[in-house]
Amino acid sequence: MKKCNTVEELQEAALKIRQNLLKLCHKENIHIGGDLSITDVMTVLWQYQMNYYPNDIHNENRDRFILSKGHASAVTSFNQAAIGCFSSDDVINEYATDGGRFSMHSCNLVNPYVEVSTGSLGHGFPIACGIAQALRLKNNTTSRVYVVMGDGEQCEGSIWEAATNAAKQRLGNLVSMVDNNGLEADGALKDVAGISSLADRYRVCGWNVVELNGNDIVEIKNAFDNLPAATSSIPTVFICHTTKGKGVSFMENQARWHAGKLDDEQYKKAVESLQNEYGVESIKK
Amino acid sequence: MINIDRTSKNLLRDVVGDITTSIGEENDKVAVVNADLMGTCRMRSFNKKFPDRCFNVGIAEQQMVSFAAGLAHEGFIPFAFTMAPFISMRACESVRDDVAYANANVRLMGTYAGVSGGISGATHWSVEDVGIMTSIPNITVIEISDPTEADQLLRQSLDQNGPFYFRYGIIPVPSIYKKNYHFEIGRAEVLNKGNDGAFIVSGVTVPYAIEASNRIEEKTGRHIMVIDMHTIKPIDRDAVMLAAETGNIVCAEDHNIYGGLGSQVAMVLAEEGLAVHFKNIGVPDRFVAMAHAPYLYHEFGYDAEGLEAAMMSMISEDK
Repeated sequence: MKKCNTVEELQEAALKIRQNLLKLCHKENIHIGGDLSITDVMTVLWQYQMNYYPNDIHNENRDRFILSKGHASAVTSFNQAAIGCFSSDDVINEYATDGGRFSMHSCNLVNPYVEVSTGSLGHGFPIACGIAQALRLKNNTTSRVYVVMGDGEQCEGSIWEAATNAAKQRLGNLVSMVDNNGLEADGALKDVAGISSLADRYRVCGWNVVELNGNDIVEIKNAFDNLPAATSSIPTVFICHTTKGKGVSFMENQARWHAGKLDDEQYKKAVESLQNEYGVESIKK
Repeated sequence: MINIDRTSKNLLRDVVGDITTSIGEENDKVAVVNADLMGTCRMRSFNKKFPDRCFNVGIAEQQMVSFAAGLAHEGFIPFAFTMAPFISMRACESVRDDVAYANANVRLMGTYAGVSGGISGATHWSVEDVGIMTSIPNITVIEISDPTEADQLLRQSLDQNGPFYFRYGIIPVPSIYKKNYHFEIGRAEVLNKGNDGAFIVSGVTVPYAIEASNRIEEKTGRHIMVIDMHTIKPIDRDAVMLAAETGNIVCAEDHNIYGGLGSQVAMVLAEEGLAVHFKNIGVPDRFVAMAHAPYLYHEFGYDAEGLEAAMMSMISEDK
């Protein structure tokens, strides 16, 4: 399993993920906006933080990852590719093909690296609570359950059912990350859902709340480095302030790039934009 | 003719509560999840004995089902308890996505089945749950009618992997089966033998069908088969075909006439090309004001009197 150790390595890894996302988005319609906003968090999570064994996926001591915002399947798959679950080309070639392992949402029936199949919002988080509880029952004191949610997803009632229960059950082995990019399919979160003060909401529920710039590898790594032990009694949420479409100037903060496909011209522009943002010579291949 | 002890009155939720505690003693993987109806679902004794394996998530049925799926994901066998309407509708998508899609080893336990909730009214009745649960892959759907059946089918379910839905009402029911009676999930029980007609029933309608069958035999000497189709999905096709040999089938269930046992039986009959006289009795497809369950059973025509009349009108057309 390939792991990154330094901020520089992680920054490079995150860039590779973005490059792959653009390649895929040139080929297929993907949830590119939300993939790009959570790329940095996912990269640090998968390529630095999590204990995961691609050759032993049922290892009892692994950390569990649940993608509650099921739309971010592509960025998940590319990170799993980076640690050796399969290749990035597998993802690009099979995505949205009949009989392929990868599609708009993650499906465990065809892809065993998907811990739990997701898609409909507000499901992964309460499942993660059950898994965290089960780890407690099994006296597993080291594994954590990591769950990635969207900010629009916070509208679902089941999220707050789970948030309340997790705090009550003292599930300090549960770590959730909210991709707070401020946009959902129909527009701005504050206009569509009226949701604000997510940090306060979780605080009131009794969570350990960490607010961070979710597009800053240094801050993300630092937050993971300072997580309470899995045995702690308070669940942790990272409110990750991010930019939807991060790294591609014409996609940033644009609700219309919630999902989409890049034509040749757009792809070229997007690649240039990444170069400008991250100062890279060229995108390989 | 089998005689049932009408004086015995069993509350199936008490029975299920005791069985679950007993199963919990034998199997430390069994856990219970509640949504603020621990008392209603008779889980207090389980909770007292196994507080570490008993969870109350509050009034949050979606969370209850998804949380149970999470427990199952890690090798536990959670029993998620609430009223049938809430587990089948409030938590329906959680049942489909998190339990069934994942083929999670969860027991979905729905009390208040049918109109047994009586004066609690339509919000607390569950006359859609069989239709909902049978239309979701992987879920075995069972309606229990008496304590022995409940005990054996619940225990047998632990030998299988994957989700089960158990439905049962809250009104007192008589004991039908002797303690040593042997059940199998997916195999219907043929109670009264008969050549003149057949009742295909489940749950609360089983004792009524037995009584109707006995009355018809006493009055006319004609023999009416009674089939307890406790496993509604996968349905026992052989039992349906056996019933079809009598030429007259009356299905009855405490459920909307659409989507329940009667619909399943009708589909088997059509697929097998079996032409029989057929009646499907259940809750009519309209909302009904709250009333006590026995009154409603009578109104809807699936108490003993109603079933007797339905069968008599059918078989009296025969020569």
